[in-house]
Amino acid sequence: MAAMVRLSVRHFSCARGPALLSNQNAFESKSVYPAILPSTTAKSRSAKQRRVAEFFDQLRGSNVKDKLSSLTKLQRMKYVVYPQTFALNADKWYQHFTKTAYISELPEKYSMSAHETEKSNTLPQIDAAALAEIRTLVCNSLLQENCQVRKGRAPLLKELQYTVAPFLKNLSSGMTCVLAKQNPLLRSSTFDSEPQVNFYWLRGKRILPKGHRRGRPEPTRFQIDDKPHCQLRIPHQLPEFVPLRNEVSEEVPVVHLSPDRLPLFRRQYENHVYSGAKVDDPCCYGHTQFHLMPERLNRDRMSELHSEKQLEVTLRANAIASLFAWTGAQAMYQGFWSNEDLDRPFVSQAVITDGQYFSFFCYQLNTLALTDEAEVDNPRKNLCWGTKSMQLYENITDNDVIGLNDQVLRLLIQFLLNGA
Amino acid sequence: MLKTPVYRCSAVATGLKQLCFSSECGSCFLVLRSSRHGNRLLSMSSSVCGKALPRRNPREVVEINGLEKITYAERKHFVPGLTKPIFPPWERDHQNPFYYKSPKPEEMPLYKDKPCFVFHQRTNLMEGVKQTLWLTKSKLIKGIPAQIMALADNPANEIENQDDRVQNAIKHARFWDTTENVPPRERFCPTLLNSLLHLCGLQQFKHPALGKRLLCQKYSLAASWHRGEDLIQVRGKNGMLLNSMSPLPAMAEREEVLGTADSVLETFYPISPTIDLQNLNVFDAKTDTGFVEGYPYPHAHTLFFTHLKDGHHEQLRAKMVMYAFGNALARARALYGPEPQVLEKPVVVQSVATNGRLFQFLVFQLNTTDLTTDTGVKNLAWMDEDQALYDFAKVRPLIKKKVVQVPAGLAGYHPDTFKKLLAFYLHGAA
Repeated sequence: MAAMVRLSVRHFSCARGPALLSNQNAFESKSVYPAILPSTTAKSRSAKQRRVAEFFDQLRGSNVKDKLSSLTKLQRMKYVVYPQTFALNADKWYQHFTKTAYISELPEKYSMSAHETEKSNTLPQIDAAALAEIRTLVCNSLLQENCQVRKGRAPLLKELQYTVAPFLKNLSSGMTCVLAKQNPLLRSSTFDSEPQVNFYWLRGKRILPKGHRRGRPEPTRFQIDDKPHCQLRIPHQLPEFVPLRNEVSEEVPVVHLSPDRLPLFRRQYENHVYSGAKVDDPCCYGHTQFHLMPERLNRDRMSELHSEKQLEVTLRANAIASLFAWTGAQAMYQGFWSNEDLDRPFVSQAVITDGQYFSFFCYQLNTLALTDEAEVDNPRKNLCWGTKSMQLYENITDNDVIGLNDQVLRLLIQFLLNGA
Repeated sequence: MLKTPVYRCSAVATGLKQLCFSSECGSCFLVLRSSRHGNRLLSMSSSVCGKALPRRNPREVVEINGLEKITYAERKHFVPGLTKPIFPPWERDHQNPFYYKSPKPEEMPLYKDKPCFVFHQRTNLMEGVKQTLWLTKSKLIKGIPAQIMALADNPANEIENQDDRVQNAIKHARFWDTTENVPPRERFCPTLLNSLLHLCGLQQFKHPALGKRLLCQKYSLAASWHRGEDLIQVRGKNGMLLNSMSPLPAMAEREEVLGTADSVLETFYPISPTIDLQNLNVFDAKTDTGFVEGYPYPHAHTLFFTHLKDGHHEQLRAKMVMYAFGNALARARALYGPEPQVLEKPVVVQSVATNGRLFQFLVFQLNTTDLTTDTGVKNLAWMDEDQALYDFAKVRPLIKKKVVQVPAGLAGYHPDTFKKLLAFYLHGAA
């Protein structure tokens, strides 16, 4: 039985799509005689297409666990996409891999002023008391990690892990607890620290240049293995930012080069689709991820090596890759995959920081039909909104945080109030 | 043949082979001698005589005053007949931390003649809690204080869907946390503690005073005191400390505290009370909470430990007592000064430890900082041992003789343990 399934998965990897079967069904309805179907066992193109179509039908009927295991069973060489990358202009490439259009501002929801909040699908107003409480929380935890605990010097190249990681954990969990009063959704949330997030998908194809299968098309496989610093998961879905059918003017950049040129490298190991918890977990939707930039992508170092632009590029690439992986995994947990596209958009948010600079990103997954066969006539594209990085504070002296930026705090609060 | 005494020939330095005859039985041994392999007796098994002989003592160098040795230093290579030159040891002109040589302990500025007994994070006390009670001059009471039990039993403090959510947290830690089938203890133990703490922290909308706390991951504690003749110190990084703006109320009333003067400390003669503590001569006998003055959360609330070993629960409980006591002592010294005294307001520190299944609860109340003598008021420690949160979390069922002993999944969930944890967390705020 297992051998049968593996055989059919291999056919799926180089499928042409279920076009033939649908044509046959059309004939079937008119014809008096039973349709002449291609053989299931012959070594012909039509037979292969029939096998693929039957496999897809079988997949559509099966449950989520079986779908995931069938779709990730076949191991081949795949490109490993690192969300936190040093590659130049990685964001364009990542947009192409994930079919994401980038909009360089936050969704309307966050920019709406207080008097416009009468409409539905908006955020509750920020409570002044909550803002004050969060301001003290941020100041206290910043001061605690930077000067009030006698820690000694951090190991070389681990300064961020030493000071910023505990600050970020205190900040995210503390803010969740404070805002649970206003946002009842957070009361049923789950908090993961250093979770594992994986996504595996196919996009584009190439013609095999040599070997016994030379000349045949092979889909390009991608894998993301992400490890955010912490994330919030919730049992109910976040509301969409824009409707599924909405037209967005931003285009998805197309890169015609092979991904090797980014550079990306191919490895072969287990394919995982994983959102931080297995399918049985009731908290299966994402709320917000908090990412910590690694020390090697430090601001000073990056601006020394490259231009200032690349700083934002790295952040954008990180957001696109991480959020696509997380949201995609959530969608696949609901039973959607490339040949069974989403019927509702999936939404999640991310905050990327190096302790001082914060950038905010929102992602809406509109489509998972990214393979070449499924993408035909699919106008949908995934959307990512984001801000440039903003400074939370200017400096820390003994017992004082200088120049705390309230705008960043407000955005953080708005992000966590989403879904209320 | 082997029983006959063997006389080893003293071989000539240059000779490699020598036949030697035992004078008693006339048996013959072939001895191979070379500088590289030592002496090898070829007629015996290599395992018997494969061991190299100890190095000979270096030849005595005769110093004659007024006589200058002619060395081959100038020639820069070995020359037969000339003396080997002796150079002064090379000293690096820059500092390299990888080649740091520490001075001898006696030359260090912190060296003291009288040693100090140090308890740190790798110390495993042989006598466990009994020994810590002697070291901290405390009296142990089994169970959890009535005030905290009242919090645990109060249905108003319950989280909605408490049992489901706790079971989901356990399942997440034990089954759902990684793509692997079975996460290791290093992963599931902190995950479980963090999810349960998140669950407790979300109650802030009911109890706003929970907001006046902050968790600190890596703090470094130092507390030293005299016990009889010995100087004892607790120090180092350990556990996560939940700090609070307001102190915990005293668990025992004044009469009960004064009544502890009658109790007698248990000894375990002939074992020394300082067994397994590290004996150091270089130390700084300071008392430090690990935080600077003016820290807005000056009171220690709860100390959380994750125990990543199987077994050694007694040692874990000993560690909890020692660190809770150390935190309390450091804070009491900061508040009331270093003079030994019976405290007006006792300092209370809680501690919770888990290995991912079993929970240990401790409440420590520091009544006195006068620890030198065995008489007088004692400190109090309430301890609840080995409370299981669940009995089994199995990925595969346990089957013996074709009968399922333990089904797969979570089995034997005990809701009372989480209630206690929640009560510990809410204590002082609810």
